[in-house]
Amino acid sequence: MIPAVILLWFAALSLSPEATQHMQAGIEADKQRQFDVAITEFKKVTELDPSFADGFVSLGQVYMEKHEFSSAVAPLKHALELSPDSPPAHQLMGYALLVEGYAAQAIPHLERVQDKTALGVAEIETGQFADAVVNLQAALAAHPNDPDVLYYLGRASGLLSKQSIDTLLAGYPDSARAHQAMGENYFVLRQMPNAEKEYEDALRLRPDVPEVHLELGQVYAGSFQWDKAEEEFRAQAKLQPGNAEAAYRLGEALLEQGKAKDARTELLRADKLMPDMPETLYSLGKADSLEGDAAAAEKEWTKLLTIEKESPLAAQAHFGLASLYRKQGKTVAAQHEMQEFQRLQTGANALPTPEKQETPHR
Amino acid sequence: MTLVAATPTVPVFEVTQPAGLKFVLENSPTAQKHLIETMPGGVALFDYNNDGLLDIFLVNGGRITSPLPARDDFDRHDPRYWNRLFRQNKDGSFTDVTEQAGLANAGDGNYGMGVAVGDYDNDGYPDLYVTNYGKNILYHNNGDGTFTDVTAKAGVAGGGWSVSAGFFDYDNDGKLDLFVTRYMDWDTRRSKDCGGNFHTYCPPEEFPATTNILYHNNGDGTFTDVSQRSGIAAKKGRALGVAFADYDGDGFTDIFVSNDGMQQYLYHNNGNGTFSEVALEAGTALSEDGRRMSGMGVVFQDYDNDGRPDIMVTELPREIYSVYHNDGGGFFSYHSLDTGLGMLSSGSSGWSIGLEDFDNDGWKDLFVAQSHVLDNVDTIDPSLHYRDLPLVAMNRNNRFEKVDSGVTVPMAARGAAFGDLNNDGWEDVVVTVLGDHPQVLMNRGGKLHWLVLSLRGTRSNRDGYGARVQVNGQTRFVTSAVGYLSASDKRLHFGLGTAEKARVEIVWPSGIHQILNDVHADQFLEVREPDKQEPGR
Repeated sequence: MIPAVILLWFAALSLSPEATQHMQAGIEADKQRQFDVAITEFKKVTELDPSFADGFVSLGQVYMEKHEFSSAVAPLKHALELSPDSPPAHQLMGYALLVEGYAAQAIPHLERVQDKTALGVAEIETGQFADAVVNLQAALAAHPNDPDVLYYLGRASGLLSKQSIDTLLAGYPDSARAHQAMGENYFVLRQMPNAEKEYEDALRLRPDVPEVHLELGQVYAGSFQWDKAEEEFRAQAKLQPGNAEAAYRLGEALLEQGKAKDARTELLRADKLMPDMPETLYSLGKADSLEGDAAAAEKEWTKLLTIEKESPLAAQAHFGLASLYRKQGKTVAAQHEMQEFQRLQTGANALPTPEKQETPHR
Repeated sequence: MTLVAATPTVPVFEVTQPAGLKFVLENSPTAQKHLIETMPGGVALFDYNNDGLLDIFLVNGGRITSPLPARDDFDRHDPRYWNRLFRQNKDGSFTDVTEQAGLANAGDGNYGMGVAVGDYDNDGYPDLYVTNYGKNILYHNNGDGTFTDVTAKAGVAGGGWSVSAGFFDYDNDGKLDLFVTRYMDWDTRRSKDCGGNFHTYCPPEEFPATTNILYHNNGDGTFTDVSQRSGIAAKKGRALGVAFADYDGDGFTDIFVSNDGMQQYLYHNNGNGTFSEVALEAGTALSEDGRRMSGMGVVFQDYDNDGRPDIMVTELPREIYSVYHNDGGGFFSYHSLDTGLGMLSSGSSGWSIGLEDFDNDGWKDLFVAQSHVLDNVDTIDPSLHYRDLPLVAMNRNNRFEKVDSGVTVPMAARGAAFGDLNNDGWEDVVVTVLGDHPQVLMNRGGKLHWLVLSLRGTRSNRDGYGARVQVNGQTRFVTSAVGYLSASDKRLHFGLGTAEKARVEIVWPSGIHQILNDVHADQFLEVREPDKQEPGR
């Protein structure tokens, strides 16, 4: 949070030669990370020239570098009395107050210098999650992939979401949306019976509320009730015929039940709505294969391999193609696909057993 | 053959507690989660005294000391931990004959696993092979109600952690050989738990893979370990189940081994005493998506009546039980989804499995003993359950439809064997349950016809193991090894639907082809192998 060194522009225009000497000695000591020496020197400056704001700023900064944030506040406050518009003083004061837990008091200072990251953090602390998200998004735009910013943006977004849901649950506990939110919460916790009940309550209140059928379908799919999952995904697909995920999940549920023909129809629809999704192409190939349409399966899996070459899904496509060619008596092609499959099975690309993928404890 | 496609509205089985069948499978679960605790135990249905009634042999685990010492004797001298033989009486009750049969000694340091049945010396009395963590034991049936431990003489003790085993005649010399699966290179000194704070049994990859064992029957009461010479030991695995059938019709019995957490193995019998592992090429190594599976139980029979043996493997939840359809030409294709097994099994963990015609409609139905590996899985993942109901699914035009098994209390099932306990022509099931009594599921029966054949080999092995038997378009490959750790009634049961007569066609391991026409339904028929090929064949 603390910038390495804030450039001071003291210039020493109005300083006495003795104060200038101490100022330079303080800067030199600070560079050498001899903070106690620097503090002594900057204190001398403030004693020799109590109207020189930058002397107080420098003193405050060294305290902060020394992690003595409470000691930094007094000189910075004095600096701002002398020079109310000093950006370094505002920034350092904002940091010091924020670190000390006075986020609300830090915000005006941070706003003055438009330090988006620190401002976002302070706003998280004061419960202004929406403002925090806005500021942290701006910070992320300026510093892409900064881990701190990414973290705080995620935290702010999550807290904003929670705040909104808490308001919903407190104010409208019997609403469809409240039940939906509870269902989502239970789903994340893998408490499927509770999730199922909440989603069903949501649908009882508002049968057409968007996404609930999809989410309830996923609850059923997670507990292997594929016929019920199909019903819910179908309802979602009916409500939202343009929703590719609903079509894909319906296709998957049908495929799990061995209804390859119907699965194929839905997966084709998903592919049309959102073309060339590898997962859709893979499942479509499976449905084609189950339907005995080897040419179509080959087409889908080959297409998938033009999109993904090294992923687990690519390995699965190679494996599917190997089986397909083997049945057709195309031994050389089958061997080639099997070799590709085995190549992708090494190291990190190895396909885990589904059980291990889902349940880490076996 | 007439198809009767009505879905039963009443439970298929009645759960019974036959008088005298007093047994608890003592697996001795501990807080330390030693992996062997969750793996036993087998059951065999066989007629040890040839009185026409199926008897029951149950394998017990043992007492596990906590903490586990470097060498634990598992207290097998304590009657609580004995394996048990129950002789069936004419009234359907059972008498514990363990001690008088000479089966009380399960061996120091042995924690029990499974059982195989076969008449290895062709004397007309079925012998027992019991697998253990420790040393395996071959009990020779003396024909007078007693057994003798002949392990040392026979040279089949094995060692390590043996699991499922089965007798079969791989070289068609008329003498039953023995295949023993071994799970992993695990021992009590290297036991550990996994799962962090959950404390669970470890997944198989935590321990090194190991080899299976093939013993060749020398015909003089001894066996030779041919694992290396035959190529069986060329691949290490983590085997749990084994099943036998001649999948490519070349006259030699092949072997399928279900492995846990890795590729499955299909050993093609080359006909010259060697085997080649061909699962990947044949399409039976992985799931449809190329994923490794937790293969547990296995059955190798023809579910779609096309005359070729198919393979079904039970697995853990989210893996769905695998159905490998035999397409002919040495190739299999994956049919778990279109047979309905995907939908029926994705939330369950299966152990022993059988394909039997429970409703006598002429199509083999499915039975799976189900329960998760982890006894605390419910707390780890609320969508999964340690105790489960068995899966019973009727075969309707090659699609399996779940029906009411009649079992209402979930259990930690492991082994399961199939046979007609009360000789009424309807297949029954005995299921082993960890820490509990076995479940005896008596088929409620119905009005359709049936035929039960007993093969008596003369040139072939006396049990006729490896024969291909077709009855009214259905095919069975003769074996008693089934599912997981278990051995079924060696008699061949066929549902005939409404047909009152049957045509029986047998291809014996010797190559002799035998046909019986106009065989009356609803009878138990012994078929003796002709000394020579019938004229015109």
